[in-house]
This record gives sequence, structure tokens and C-alpha cells, in this order.
Amino acid sequence: MTDECEVTITVNGRNRRSRVEPRRLLVDYLRHDLGLTGTHIGCEQGVCGACTVLLDGRTARSCLHFAVAVDGSDIRTVEDLASLDDLHPIQEMFHQKHALQCGFCTPGFLLTTVELLESTPDPDEAAIREALMNNVCRCTGYANIVDAVTEAAVELRRGRQP
Amino acid sequence: MSSDTHGVVGQSVLRREDDYLLRGQGRFVDDLPTPLNTLHLAFVLSPFAHARITSIDASEALALDGVVDVLTGADLATMVKPIAAQIELPGYSFNTRDVLAIDEVRFAGEAVAVVVAESQYLAEDGMELVDVDYEPLPVVTDIHQATDPAAPQVNPTVPGNVYFEGRFATENVDAGFEAAAHVISEDFHSNRVTAVPIEPRGCLAVPEQPANLVFYSSTQIHHLLRTALAEFLDVAESTLRVVVPDVGGGFGIKAALYPEEFVCAALALRLRRPVKWIQDRYGALLTDVHARDNHYRVDAAFDDDGIVGALRAEIRTNGGAYSAVPFGCTLETTGGARMIVGPYRITEYEYTATAVATHTAPILAYRGVAQPVCFMAIEGIMDRIARRLELDPAEVRLRNMVPTAELPWNNVVGVRYDTGSFVESLELAMEMANYDEFRASQAQGRLVDGKYRGIGICSFTEVSGTGAPGWRARGLSRLPGFDSGTVKVEPTGKVTAFVSHAHSGQGHFTTFAQVVADELGVPLSDVTVVEGDTAAGPYGTNTFASRSAVTGGGALIRASEKARLKLARIAAFMLESTPEDIVVADGQMHVAGVPSRALSFAEVAETAYAMNTFDLPEGESFGIEETDFYDPPLVTMANATHIAQVAVDAADGTVDIEGYVVVHDCGRVINPMIVDGQVMGGVAQGIGEALMEEFVYDSDGQVRTATLMDYLLPSSVDVPNFQIAHIESPSIDTVGGFKGVGEGGLIGAVPSIVNAVADALADLEVNVNTKPLRPALLSRLIREASG
Repeated sequence: MTDECEVTITVNGRNRRSRVEPRRLLVDYLRHDLGLTGTHIGCEQGVCGACTVLLDGRTARSCLHFAVAVDGSDIRTVEDLASLDDLHPIQEMFHQKHALQCGFCTPGFLLTTVELLESTPDPDEAAIREALMNNVCRCTGYANIVDAVTEAAVELRRGRQP
Repeated sequence: MSSDTHGVVGQSVLRREDDYLLRGQGRFVDDLPTPLNTLHLAFVLSPFAHARITSIDASEALALDGVVDVLTGADLATMVKPIAAQIELPGYSFNTRDVLAIDEVRFAGEAVAVVVAESQYLAEDGMELVDVDYEPLPVVTDIHQATDPAAPQVNPTVPGNVYFEGRFATENVDAGFEAAAHVISEDFHSNRVTAVPIEPRGCLAVPEQPANLVFYSSTQIHHLLRTALAEFLDVAESTLRVVVPDVGGGFGIKAALYPEEFVCAALALRLRRPVKWIQDRYGALLTDVHARDNHYRVDAAFDDDGIVGALRAEIRTNGGAYSAVPFGCTLETTGGARMIVGPYRITEYEYTATAVATHTAPILAYRGVAQPVCFMAIEGIMDRIARRLELDPAEVRLRNMVPTAELPWNNVVGVRYDTGSFVESLELAMEMANYDEFRASQAQGRLVDGKYRGIGICSFTEVSGTGAPGWRARGLSRLPGFDSGTVKVEPTGKVTAFVSHAHSGQGHFTTFAQVVADELGVPLSDVTVVEGDTAAGPYGTNTFASRSAVTGGGALIRASEKARLKLARIAAFMLESTPEDIVVADGQMHVAGVPSRALSFAEVAETAYAMNTFDLPEGESFGIEETDFYDPPLVTMANATHIAQVAVDAADGTVDIEGYVVVHDCGRVINPMIVDGQVMGGVAQGIGEALMEEFVYDSDGQVRTATLMDYLLPSSVDVPNFQIAHIESPSIDTVGGFKGVGEGGLIGAVPSIVNAVADALADLEVNVNTKPLRPALLSRLIREASG
């Protein structure tokens, strides 16, 4: 409507200047203004984690932030993980370990894993399960996700570049 | 002709779906590009469970810039007929539902008006401004109170709030009880749950030529949806195309046809603009179909050896305020009544099965349908027999099971078990779970380090791949049963396979390609699977009730066979041989014994498409595009045994699952990795249902669980690692030997966990006959038993 604000947000390494309503959710801004539809909306209640992005390097629920509130911030979404030719090692291990079924929650899990493995390169199973507990997956039963994260940690420690 | 290509069926082929989904390039309905002139919908939901609508004032909403229209039930009634499930069961009370309530609302969350606006935000602004006056009316939500003569009438065409009452009895069931040495009776209560796919529902209707309307929906049943849209909107079915994009989980609740879909399609046709609706989680919890609000009273007559001679079940299921479309409120009722005998040789059986109406959300399919509850009942009975006779629960099951040597077996309600491994799956699961050692350790006492430890078994049959006769037996004569496949060999020799299914995470693009690659004798990478589009390929019954491997696999095998025969006829003509002498291997066709006389698929296809100098053989038609259909038998019966090992904290009643074993038999396995994924995901949902999930109405019909902070889902710390093994008893009744696997994980988890908790607390002599087994309940039981 009226009273749009100008915001400048770095999204996946690119400076984006946009006019948004103050009430526009970050997730709607990403999905519908920038076309980055890999970030999904599962609950808009901050519970399911499907909308997880990296906000200045830390996981954040993009359904709980207004776009205007992250003016000047750096946002990273699932679209930034892979190159044209190669998946990110975390994505590759999700593929190898069948850690996704419908794929709707998957982007949130990937970004949560990025954060975990940046801070904890060699997590044990309990640490992985603890880190993932705020993302809900209704398809996989989690075991394969835990395996994928474990293997991705190994790959990343081996120095395979994301 | 023959094929000697190395098979890919049976291999854990990695999924071709993954790459685009992992890159964030999935196309779920809310991700689809929308035309700039798209209109958005927001529904005004009733805050009351039962009320008269006295007025709806939309003037403030209509005054808002960007709100295009606000429509009520009366407005929609001019565009959409009342929707209804067609159930042909004697005594069924037919009832209809207006897509927006007219005059009266019957459950909290029922939509009374819809706002049409230029954006989603504006639609929701408008929704807040619609002023609806209600006069609250008396409410009934409880399945037992529903049939109290004093209870308010829920639905005008459902007298006494009884949708349906089914009865069945074998001739000698009374004699079986009279003769029995022992009788056990138990009540089993089940919590109301819903599936909660992480992607909520949604749809996008785009007026577009040459069809009049392309309708994208997050659904599992595109063909059934298209037929229903045609019927209830009164438009020619041929002018509608339904497309299923990526679907973020379905689990059965997207195998229902919902009012919002009809409203969205009707408004797009009326307003001649694209119309989009995306559900929010609050709406999802309130208006998605629910499940499992059931009560079972079971009496079992058995002898001193624990052999069950006769069984009675009195089943009551809550159907909610309307009989949901298309399967109807009797789905759980007839399902539980017909499935409860499971793998056991129970020959005298009587049931009364009742579906009642209440002021709650309609009930329909959720993964497993009635089976998690009916097996919680029968498996609970097996454990009670064991405790009564001081036998091991596994031993009681083994004594009652139909042994493999006696298969095929027709169970007491006439369902055929063609092949299976009831005894073998239990024995293997016991071995994997170190069952005997666990029992030995329990002899020292179940309470160790502040935790009661127990083990629970569920051995069960799993209904899958239901054919037309199976649906007719449950009053669903308008539900077809068959699915279709079309196999097309393109001019370049590559293969496109169309199938009448729609995926919601099952990996169909991979598994169906495996089936077709093997049947045709081509490399897996040459096959592309297309589905979820009524404009691509013929009609089918679509994707629910563990159907796709059985019905889609069967149809594709048949279509592939036809395509292969045509290729062989053309190749034989080109090679001056006979079709019988053509061998297919690795994408080539050669004359038997003379590998040098070979043609590629592309060379044969070129002839079929008149793209070379060969003529077609006499009588052969152009192209290679073969279609066939497959209707499975009554039902295709898979089986499994689950064993759960739990620790119940004596202080706070929390349950840890310390071990979980599944031995599953879904016949011929297409892709073990994907089957394991289905099993593990199902078990996780079963853990939720057994231990935490519950949709709660208070006595006024108000919803207590309208967010995911109240409706609890299992997370990564609630679900254990699994040990899974497969026994393959290929079906002899189905094309391809496949049996379904989609629901078994959930079905087996609920009873095995409930039984494990009961076993852990067995020394306290508390009766565990309900779920969810939340800490508050268990700590109360422990406290009361400990005095």
C-alpha cells in the first residue's frame, strides 16, 4: 500500500535496493519480490523452520522478520549454496543419504546445517540432533538427515570447498 | 522376444528429484509464477463450532482499496453445487456441504465468506474487516455424547448424529464366546490427529486456452479433483486441466477435495482472472481433514493356549461435521472393521461399526487410515492375553498367526492375503531386537536407573493397492481403483512414461523410471517420467492408500510390454527376422544368437515415425505410444513387524525410544532406499501420534491446538535411529509383484510404542489403553499405581 520504505539488503552476495511496505515479511520479500522461492513458508509461527535463512551468518526465521527490520543486513538463502555445476557438500550428502523426500523443509535444514558446521566442524550425533531440533521434517524421520550432516561434516573437514 | 538387461528394479538408485529440490528450485504451488493480474483469496473462518449466522457485513472490507469482492455462502451457491461424498452403504445418511456455510456453521474454522483482493496482504486485511454476527448454538464434539438423545443435531440429514452403522457377524461367533476358557474385554481410545504436511494446501486457477481453466493444486488426486470440479461447478470436464506441481507432503490429507478448491476455480471462471489461494498454518490445523478420533471396544475369546477363537469389536469413529469428499466419513469406520483381524487366524468375528457426526472438522484419510488404531486394539489384546496366561506376547502372536505355508488365505471378512511373511517377520524382528535377551534382563526388574523399560510388538497386515472391488466393498462405488500408464518411445529412441499418479515426496520420477527401464530394456537415464497432469496421459485413481507402486507400476509394466512388442515387430521387419527372435538388451534390439544384427531404439523409432527409408510393417500404426491400465485385486496386502523398546522416566513420565526395529514385506522392492525412507518417515509420524500429537476441542468446540506450539510434532531429538530389514514375498496377485509401503511405518509404530509403554509399566498393573502417552498422563498413572 502506501508508506513504502526503501531498504538495501545484501542477498546472496548481491546488493538489492527495494521499496517495501513496513509490514512486508522478509520471507515474502525474498520469495515474491526477488523470486527466491527456495525459502518456504510452513507455519508463519516460527516453529517449523522451513523459512530458515542465514541473517548475517546466523540462522533466522524469515517469517518472523520484517524486510525493513533487516535493512543493511546480509541474507543468504538456499539458492546461494550450489554452483551451476556442483552441489554444496551438504546438499550432495543430503542427496547421497536420501535425506529429503518432498523437499519442502529441506532448504531450512540445509541452512541450519551450514550454521552448525561452520561453528562445530566435528559434531557428534547428539549435537547434530540438538542443532536440527528446531526444523520440522514430516517425511524422513530425521535419521537420514543426521547421517547426511555427519557425512557432510567429514567432507568439509577434508577440505572439500563449498 | 526377450529382455536380458540387468535390472535396476531392486537397486537403491539415488533420486533424480533431489538436485532441483536441493537447489531451492522446487515448484510448489506458491512458487509458481503468477500472472500480474492474479487475484488472491482469504477466507473468513467461523470462531464458533455451532452457530447461526445472523448477518454478514462486508461494507468496510469492500471499501478497502484493492479488495475486489467479498462473497458469502449464498453468493457461492449460485456458482458451486453443495459438495458431497457418494457412499453406497445401506443406512448411510447422505449429507452435503455448502462450500461456504449458509445460515449455520457446524465446526470452528468453517468458512463463511471469502475476500477477493489484488494481493494476499490486502485479502487478509479485508478478511479482518468482514463483520459476521453469530448466534451460538449448542455443541457436541464427543463421539459418545453425539448419540445422546439430548445432543444437538449436527447435520439436518443425519438423524441422531449417526452417519452410518455397519454390522457383520459370522455364524458361530456367539458359540465361540460361550465355549471359550477365557474372555478379555478392553476399551481403546485414540486421539484426534491431523497430518500436518509442512507445505500447507493451496491452489492457483488460471483461465487459459485451449482448456478454459488450468487449475494447479497441492493435491494427491488430480483426476478425481477434475471430475469433481466439473460436477460441482457444472462445467464440461474437457474444459478443465488439473496440474499438480511439487507437493510438500500429503500423507492422505491432500487426498480430499476441499471447499477452497471449488471456490478458487469458480471465482477464476466468474471473474475471468487468475485466482490464487495459499493456506496458512492456522487454517490448515482447523480445516484440513482430521483423523483417528476413534473408540474401540474389543472382546476376545481364547483358550488356555492363548488361541483366539472369536472376536467382537464395537467401533465408533468421529466423522466430524460433514462427510468429507471423496471417500466419506465411513472411511475409518469400514476400514477398522475390516482390517482389525490382521495376520491372525480369527475365524469367528462380529463387529458393529458406527460413524457419528459432531461439531468438529471433517474426518478423512491420514496415513494408515484406521489401521494404527485397529492394530493398537488387536495388538493390545494379544499382549493382554499374554499377561493373563503368563505367556510371552511374541509367543501368543506366533500361535495365532496364519503361517506362510497356509497362504493364500482368505480372512474372515473375505480379504485375500496372497503371500506374506507374518511369522518370519516377527521372528526376524525379535532376533534384530535381541528380544530374548531384553526379556531376560527384565526378569531382574523393569525399573532400572529411574526408568521403566519395556518392549512392544506390532505384527500387522497393511492394506495397499486397492482395486475397484475393494472400494465397492466399502461403499465407494464411484472410486475407480485402476491407474494408467503410457509409454512413449520418442523418435530419438528416448522414452517418456506418463502415469496417473502425483508425487508428494515418494520419488516417483526415479522409481517409475526404474520400472520402465527394466521392462523396456533401456538404460535408466533414457526414461523420463511425467505425472500429475490431467492433460498428460489417461485417467486414473491417483495417489493415496499406498497405491502408486502397485497400480502405477502395474500399468507401466503393461504399457511397456505393449511398446516393447511393437518395437520388436518393427525391428524384426527391419532385420528380416521374426518378433519372437528379437532380443532387447541395453537399449539395443538384436536377432537372437546374432548380436551383430542389431538396431538401436532410435533406429527402430525412426521407422515408426517414418523418419527413414523403411516402410512400416503391414498393419502397423505410426509412432510408439502405448497405453494400458491396471486395476489391482480387492486389496494388495503387505505386512510387517515393528518392535519398539522404550524407557519411561519414573519421575516425569517422559518416554525415550531406545531401540526400534522394522521388518517389512512389501513384496518386490523397487528401490530399497526409498522404501526405507517411507518406513522411517512413517514411524516418526507414529511416534508423534503415540506420544505427543493431539488435536483438542474443548466442550464448546473451541480449538485448543491452533498453532504448532500447541499441536506438537516430533523433532530430531524425539525420533531414534532404526534397524530395518526387508523380506520380499512378491505378490502373486498383482502385475509386477509389488505391494504398497506408504503407510506401514506409521501403522506399526503406534501399537508397538503403546505396547512397549504398557510393558514397561506392567509391574505397576496400570492399564495403558489410550494415546497419546504424554508425560502428564504417564506420570499420573505411575504416581497412582505407586500409591
